[in-house]
Amino acid sequence: MNQTKTATARRRITDLLDPNFVARLDSLDVLSRKILQGKLQGERRSKRRGQSVEFADHRPYVVGDDLRFVDWNIYGRLEQLFLKLFLEEQDLTVHIAMDASASMSFGEPSKELFIKKLIAALGYVSLVNNNRVTISSFADGLKTQMANMRGRSYLAQMAEFLLTSQSEGFSNFDNACRQIAAGRLGSGIMIVLSDFFFKEGFDTGLRRLVSRQYDLYVIQVLSAQELSPDLAGDLKLIDVEDADAAEVTISSALIKYYKRNLSAYCNELKDFCTRRGAAYILVNSADSVESLVLNYLRRIRLLR
Amino acid sequence: MEWLTPLTALYAGAAAVPLLLLLYFLKLKRREQIVSSTLLWKRAVQDLQVNAPFQRIRRNILLLLQLLMLLAILFGLAWPVLSLTAGSGRRYVLLIDRSASMNAVDVAPSRLDAAKEQAKLFIESLPGKAFFSLKGTGDQIMVIAFGKRAKVMCNFTSDKRQALAAIEAIRAGDGDSLLGEAVVVARAFAQSPGVEADNRSAEEPAQLVLFSDGRIRDLDQIAVASDELIFNCVGKSVQNIAITAMQARRSYENPDEIDIFATLANYGATRVNCDLQLSLNADVRAVRSVTIPGRTTTGDSNTAQPGKAAVSFSLSHADAGVLEVRQLHSDCLSCDDAAWAILSAPTRLSVLLVTAGNIVLESALRASPLGRLEICTPAEFDAMDHAALSVEQPYDVIVLDNHVPTGLPKCRYLTFGRPPDNIDVSVPQQLENQVMVDWRSRHPVLQYVNLTNLFAARCYKMSLPRDAEVLAEFDQTPALALLRRNGSVFLLAGFDVLQTNWPFEPGFVLFCYNAASFLGMEVARNQDTNLRVGQPIVVEGLPPETLAGIEGPGVSGGEIKANPAGLIRFPGTDRVGVYSLNVPDQPLRLFAVNLLDARESDIEPAREIVLSGQSVQAQQRPFSRSNLALWPFLVGLALVLACLEWLVYNHKVRI
Repeated sequence: MNQTKTATARRRITDLLDPNFVARLDSLDVLSRKILQGKLQGERRSKRRGQSVEFADHRPYVVGDDLRFVDWNIYGRLEQLFLKLFLEEQDLTVHIAMDASASMSFGEPSKELFIKKLIAALGYVSLVNNNRVTISSFADGLKTQMANMRGRSYLAQMAEFLLTSQSEGFSNFDNACRQIAAGRLGSGIMIVLSDFFFKEGFDTGLRRLVSRQYDLYVIQVLSAQELSPDLAGDLKLIDVEDADAAEVTISSALIKYYKRNLSAYCNELKDFCTRRGAAYILVNSADSVESLVLNYLRRIRLLR
Repeated sequence: MEWLTPLTALYAGAAAVPLLLLLYFLKLKRREQIVSSTLLWKRAVQDLQVNAPFQRIRRNILLLLQLLMLLAILFGLAWPVLSLTAGSGRRYVLLIDRSASMNAVDVAPSRLDAAKEQAKLFIESLPGKAFFSLKGTGDQIMVIAFGKRAKVMCNFTSDKRQALAAIEAIRAGDGDSLLGEAVVVARAFAQSPGVEADNRSAEEPAQLVLFSDGRIRDLDQIAVASDELIFNCVGKSVQNIAITAMQARRSYENPDEIDIFATLANYGATRVNCDLQLSLNADVRAVRSVTIPGRTTTGDSNTAQPGKAAVSFSLSHADAGVLEVRQLHSDCLSCDDAAWAILSAPTRLSVLLVTAGNIVLESALRASPLGRLEICTPAEFDAMDHAALSVEQPYDVIVLDNHVPTGLPKCRYLTFGRPPDNIDVSVPQQLENQVMVDWRSRHPVLQYVNLTNLFAARCYKMSLPRDAEVLAEFDQTPALALLRRNGSVFLLAGFDVLQTNWPFEPGFVLFCYNAASFLGMEVARNQDTNLRVGQPIVVEGLPPETLAGIEGPGVSGGEIKANPAGLIRFPGTDRVGVYSLNVPDQPLRLFAVNLLDARESDIEPAREIVLSGQSVQAQQRPFSRSNLALWPFLVGLALVLACLEWLVYNHKVRI
């Protein structure tokens, strides 16, 4: 029964990911840079002292403490009551926020497809390792959310969610972040995937997502056309989200200034993340998700 | 290649090129392109505009084509000319005839316009001062228009536009044609270095280029070197009927009767019936049909004589008026089709005799047909208000008999005896026993007067100024002299009549009559109203500094100011017709300006002119263009570029 379910889920998830790649994902797990508190006792060390097998510290006994944790060996040697403290192992919340505004559909291959594949891979790894997985899609606010998925049984739902999600509407990152941060419980990893081209700026929104409970990963996905535009002639550029127009005459000088601005913008985002302890990753939607997940994310220790 | 109007193109370019660039910034058709976000593009554009405002026109084929098109048009404006004939820099004097015969319309639109066109072609064919070329000097041109007088339209210049404008500024005249002055002026200018004082040798002879119909009066007084003059003949027809003489005269017996004589000449080869119309004050009074024989050639000298017909009218009119005689047959030259005469109201002379008692003189004057004769003594004359006499002029003639007055009011004087003072005539001594040795019998004053027997027992020796006109001479002194001084006319007889045997001669009465008539005509002479073309209108005796208005053919709303002596002189009678001079508070003065010139009316173009025995043949063919204007090709290029731009634009938009 369980096998059948997995097969169905895999069939669905293989719409997004290559089966060989999925097979290789089985060996991975999500790694938090900090040891974070989870809701259920899980497979993960948490900072919270509790019931587990891994010794952490001693402390003097006070009235009311559970006598089961008194270290009787010390009492035998010193005739003083000390409690043994253990590191409690808890589950990890993996919260993935994906940008589903109209701008994500841009690019060849589209940024939308790329982040769906990436989320599928990350979600798969998280679910099969019994982590709590929440996937939110946002545009001008929180659009849809699959919350508190846990275990392989949710693979199909996750795949369904990803495959039916549409990138449309204009973006309001600040509003979306406020709603996501408000609905967030527990602690874990927060992964935000977007192109971060927000006219109102990304800093107020991201500032809401930075917290001690969550390890923040900012993944900026840009298409090859955005990284290196292949335009020519006298153009009226129309913003796909708000129909804002910019009249340009493409020249090498203009392209040079565009790239310089893009680089400055990405560096600004990176600096922002670094200063707040978040990890920043810039990826090209034309790159392969497999190598990103299997190599780069492991190298930065998001996965292990 | 040279540029005729480089500055025009430079100015136009300075205005048009920035305008094109500006327009290019303003109107650019852009293709729409959807992008994920305009955020970074806007920043990039801002950076680009801050750093390099002209980056956007880089590598823009449309703008490049438009600029090329504009350049082609601008080059066209500079009027580049490709010289097809080689030639070194020379000096040319263009002599353009603007006399009456050049108004003939046998060559459309007129001979003068045709001559101007030929002169322009000549100038355009010359290599000019090349503006952008290494050749520093070009041909220099001087333009002189000549009629009765020569007029320098422009001095030697290599600026063709200036020369062309000078030619364009030549206006037709109705005058005689005299080339001599123009040639003298041309040579005088040619010997100076000219306005562009380069190192051009002053000795280098200038080439004279004459544009005329060859009807020039003073050809026999001009001498030119054999190849100095190029003659271009304009005109082809001889058909012309002219009024070559016209006179209107009041009958002596009945001043109300006016006799009008006119002579018509037919220069064509065939006999012509034409109507002659007489108008008085623009009212037609008579029309008479006249048959004029054709031109005849006399066998011996091979000179052609026009057929002539004389016509006389007579009408009765007691007032002043303007008479017009006009022939109604259409011909090539219109300025000799009509002649005008100004009729003044009939006047009779009013004479004042100042004498202490001279029965002989008084009788002789009374025998003359005068309007009024008043006699006063010298004392009474000296007591008169001389200033009022000057202004009002109640007497046409004052006869002074042996009286030297204290003041001389402005008038016409006949003096006997000692001449008046202050008229530059000195009397060093008295002479005795003088006999007449010579006199001017053809002068109007001495007409029919025989002075052979005139003997003066005593007379004054008159020492006359140089401008005095001596009419009769005794053996040691002038006997009769005519002198104009201070606005007055003096007919001086340096003797007392009673000291001569003249009263016993019949000539004395004739002299008195002639003298009164002549001096009376001097009244009219002050206002000579029947003029020839080019003859100035002169009016004397006006209040000083008076501003008078003048109207006439080719003159409208003109104003002319009298000099401090009260004289107005208007030389601009270039066209035939009636001129009017309006002096405030005075009756309108009319002046008739007529051609009445058989030579100018003879419009037969002369293919050969003979200058002091030197024959100059007209050029066989009129000037043809010897260089090629390139502007049409440049305009064509601009059109091609416009089409190309259209193609490129469409191609770009279709992407």
